[in-house]
Amino acid sequence: MSRSVWKGPFVDAYVLKKAEKARESSRNEVIKIWSRRSTILPQFVGLTFGVYNGQKHIPVNVSEDMIGQKFGEYSPTRTYYGHAADKKAKRK
Amino acid sequence: MTDKDLICVAAIAGSYGVRGEARLKSFCAIPEDVANYGALTSEDGAKSYTLTITRKVKNGFSARLSGVNTKEEADALKGLRLYADRSVLPDLPDDEFYHTDLIGLEVLDTGGISLGKIRAVHDHGAGDLLEVFGPGLKSTVLLPFTREIVPTVDLTTGRVIADPPEGLFPDD
Repeated sequence: MSRSVWKGPFVDAYVLKKAEKARESSRNEVIKIWSRRSTILPQFVGLTFGVYNGQKHIPVNVSEDMIGQKFGEYSPTRTYYGHAADKKAKRK
Repeated sequence: MTDKDLICVAAIAGSYGVRGEARLKSFCAIPEDVANYGALTSEDGAKSYTLTITRKVKNGFSARLSGVNTKEEADALKGLRLYADRSVLPDLPDDEFYHTDLIGLEVLDTGGISLGKIRAVHDHGAGDLLEVFGPGLKSTVLLPFTREIVPTVDLTTGRVIADPPEGLFPDD
């Protein structure tokens, strides 16, 4: 069963505080968070969060299409390297 | 020929059927592309094989390799990695790079101090990340591959200039 709409999206309070502080300071920094369960809100767009995966903080640049999803979705807890082969990386 | 000239694109996982076809595991971004890179060679370049994909099978493809006509010959190739020449990969537009070109590049900060070397490139859904490891680091550091953080990528000199945000590297 999905979450009731009347409750609104869940976000840990400390994540909101840290994001607000970072936005005010407008410094280029990674906001370290441990809350993988928090929902990505529109006010987080443009910020970079370091989302803990149990081992280290994975940098996550929040963009508009990520709104509504959880931080944990972008910070996998298992590593698979695979082969580079013809895979491409795009600089955004 | 350096190790950068040859790129591992597939491996043979054994034979398929009894007519000399091989079971092929593709490492390409689009698995079918493995057949577009012409003749593939073994790691030492001694043997060359032309691929024809016959069908899709579980975890890969079945393929006919030139010079392999029996099941026994295909079985003997089990575990063989197939390499394509770097030059056969198509050119990419600006700001797009092959992982294989990025891996091994030295990462310097804006002051010219070495931060380490690129060990791998990841994409977890929020943009590409460069995994950097260097002296003085206990574990690898992931650097977002954006124009702001990585303003310069110079493949000819093998250097990447990075302006990492605060808190990414342990010294910050």
